[in-house]
Amino acid sequence: MTSRRSHLKARHERWPVSSKASSPSPEQPAVADHLKERTPGCPAAVPLGRLLGLLLMVFVMPGRVVRSAGLERSLVLVCPVSRTYGSVAARAPQMAPAKEVQADDEKILTEPLKHSDFFHLAELFTLKDLFDARVHLGHKRGCRHRLMEPYLYGCRLEQDILDLERTVEHLQVALNFTAHVAYRGGIILFVSRNRQHAHLVESTARACGEYAHTRYWHGGLLTNGHVQYGLGTRLPDLLVFFSTLNTVFQQHVAIRDAAKMNIPTVGIVDSDCNPSLVTYPVPGNDDSPAALELYCRLFRLTVNRAKDKRRQVELLYQLKGKDEARQ
Amino acid sequence: MAGSRLEKLGTVFTRIRNLMRAGVLKEADRPIWYDVYAAFPPKKEPVYQKPMGRFRKVEDNVQEILYKEDVIRAKFFEIYGNGPRAFDLTKANFVSTSQRFLEKYQELEKAANLSEEALLEETGKALLAEGLILRRRTGGFGMAVQTSDSSVSTDTENQRPVLEMKLKDMLEERQNVMSSLPQSSDKENIPSQSTPSA
Repeated sequence: MTSRRSHLKARHERWPVSSKASSPSPEQPAVADHLKERTPGCPAAVPLGRLLGLLLMVFVMPGRVVRSAGLERSLVLVCPVSRTYGSVAARAPQMAPAKEVQADDEKILTEPLKHSDFFHLAELFTLKDLFDARVHLGHKRGCRHRLMEPYLYGCRLEQDILDLERTVEHLQVALNFTAHVAYRGGIILFVSRNRQHAHLVESTARACGEYAHTRYWHGGLLTNGHVQYGLGTRLPDLLVFFSTLNTVFQQHVAIRDAAKMNIPTVGIVDSDCNPSLVTYPVPGNDDSPAALELYCRLFRLTVNRAKDKRRQVELLYQLKGKDEARQ
Repeated sequence: MAGSRLEKLGTVFTRIRNLMRAGVLKEADRPIWYDVYAAFPPKKEPVYQKPMGRFRKVEDNVQEILYKEDVIRAKFFEIYGNGPRAFDLTKANFVSTSQRFLEKYQELEKAANLSEEALLEETGKALLAEGLILRRRTGGFGMAVQTSDSSVSTDTENQRPVLEMKLKDMLEERQNVMSSLPQSSDKENIPSQSTPSA
């Protein structure tokens, strides 16, 4: 898909427009003449001709880079389209339809925000499911963090019990936020330093097409990304913590770093964690395998649902656009 | 993109919002999550909380979870220790020995009007009749409960023979009681089937 170098490299990589080429209008990607016959829907090509000996103009689909092997020089142009365009080739380069298209794209983004539960995430779990997965079990009284006291139901024989009614509310809000971010094509990074569940978190990320980081967190990953991984590195849009503590029971560095880089975080906070910097904390057990399996399942379903919904909605608007164009 | 790395000042949302208000960040360049946060804010603003000073009195605002039945459970564990069967927490509807003891205790409490120690004794005997053998805890603080039929010996050396004797006595007594009463329910097993193991 993208280069192997860093899992944080942008999926839809933006390449700088070459200064040598004459800049085409945003709606028209420059297309080689010989490709015109093959792609009947594409706009008129802007002939670039005589820049260098072997120049190849490549028609670019948004989000994909096509390279041809065996040529000395290949020039890749990208039209700075927004991610919401389904296919540029389908649109005619005229002003009036472009406005409609933009209105449609805005509707795709703004409509879901008007519903309180656009993705029907309330049906994914119940309080009984949380109880059976032992989400309510906290740590001992001595390990308690003072900021977790509002989320505790009580203390039974020195063990803190989390209030599952609050957990249900917080989990609902957190899953909803995750779904909307995934719907908008945001990059989600799952983080957990709990070595028992590292494999589970990684496979969850793979299953929903997102990213995971369950190894040692090198200091400048978020804060020094442009130096460590090159210019134009796209950082994640959301960090999901399955455990906010690292292996030495201190708060994970990524929580502070995400807050620094203005990235929202969703985190499962146990009774010994600090929930203050986490944007959407979910009070719950982060140690039992049963609880972790439940969380992984919920987040995987949420992200997949959101992405499927996005594909559906875009298809719908495309079909609607075609119908209107025909009429 | 313009940014602000002051995580201790406000929330991620307020910082981005203020950058936009100041004109440093264009509306078109706002992050993906901004609109989503505006539409669905968290229940509590994620503002940085300073850690408390070291020399402050720690107050415990979390209430203890205690039930009225805990008194009975405490007595059970004091007398019988952990009980013959281990807790199997993998099953959701698991009934432990202490829970059975508790239920029987509550039944007898409703039925008869006895003192606490008598109730404990009766519960023990009733469970024995049902086939659940409870061994009294040896050592420790000695026998706290007085029995009506045999004398109590606090001597640890003699406790095993005393224990067996007591069990056999109780069994005989129960059998006598059973044989004198008319057969009421099939719940009561024939006591002779279960013999106390040595």
